[in-house]
Amino acid sequence: MAIPAVPFGMVLGLAMTESAMPIGVSWASNPLIFAGAAQLVLITLAGTTTWLAMVTTAVVLNLRHVMYSAAVSSRFADQPLWFRVVGPVVLIDQIFALVIAWPDLKGAEFRRAYAATAALFLVVWYSSVAAGVLAGDSIPDSWQIESAPMIMFLSIVVLGLHNRPSIAAAVAGGATALLTLDLPNNFGILVSAIAGVAVGVLFDLRQTDRPQAARDADEVAT
Amino acid sequence: MSANAALAAVIVVGIFTYASRVGLILTLADRPLSASAQRALGFVAPAVLTALVVTFTAGGEGLSGFAWIEVVAIVVGAAGAKLSGRLPVGLVVGMVALWSLTYLFG
Repeated sequence: MAIPAVPFGMVLGLAMTESAMPIGVSWASNPLIFAGAAQLVLITLAGTTTWLAMVTTAVVLNLRHVMYSAAVSSRFADQPLWFRVVGPVVLIDQIFALVIAWPDLKGAEFRRAYAATAALFLVVWYSSVAAGVLAGDSIPDSWQIESAPMIMFLSIVVLGLHNRPSIAAAVAGGATALLTLDLPNNFGILVSAIAGVAVGVLFDLRQTDRPQAARDADEVAT
Repeated sequence: MSANAALAAVIVVGIFTYASRVGLILTLADRPLSASAQRALGFVAPAVLTALVVTFTAGGEGLSGFAWIEVVAIVVGAAGAKLSGRLPVGLVVGMVALWSLTYLFG
């Protein structure tokens, strides 16, 4: 699962070389944030919008980690306090998926597996980003590498679409973005995010309401 | 962008990211979020990322900023990722499509 992170890390490294954000600060996002999509968003938005808009967008994007925290909280219940404080620093998508896949690991065994996996991802990630940074200046403009992040983002979206509410959220987010392109400082991104989540929730509520409505109808009929 | 402003942005995002990862582990180990709340959080990524793709592909020039070659390449790349189930495949397919279309029509 670490291998797919290599091209993503390289794209991030390349984005660092073209960003308005000083590259030293961009690099600091690796230990301070360690979330590829949010790092790429922050680095890409730097210099194109207000400070508040870029920070808010990256923070909103990482809200899904609250879901990860909720889903694995019971796995940390038997862990010492120091591990419950340190472990979540590296709770990225891939590690979350692996934790879910280790239902039988507990105590020290869980800690060893978690730490070993985290160490592997850290090495792979840092190496990939460094490779992207080093290769950045030598890549010709004709290669149009600046399109790579957008290809990655939409690919991440479609890989995560598993039901109608999530599809509705993505479509609503994209459609709202089209309608709000002229808003200053890319403020439309935040508006679109809110609209997309709201539509997703509405579709989700509609789906969960349908069985109850059907049951009510059946009760009336009988 | 100034180095101080950039560093402040990274630090703030880092703090919120860590808080989102550790918050429920530290405070709600035995009381998870409701299923509906978890589902709502799952809609954030598709909504935000799709909005970003649309906004940055337009390049700050409104609807006239879209270049059809780039739009097609992004969609083709996403299709490649979906069909293969692999993110790197999507990136390779998308970039190959971009280069091919640029060579043919650019």
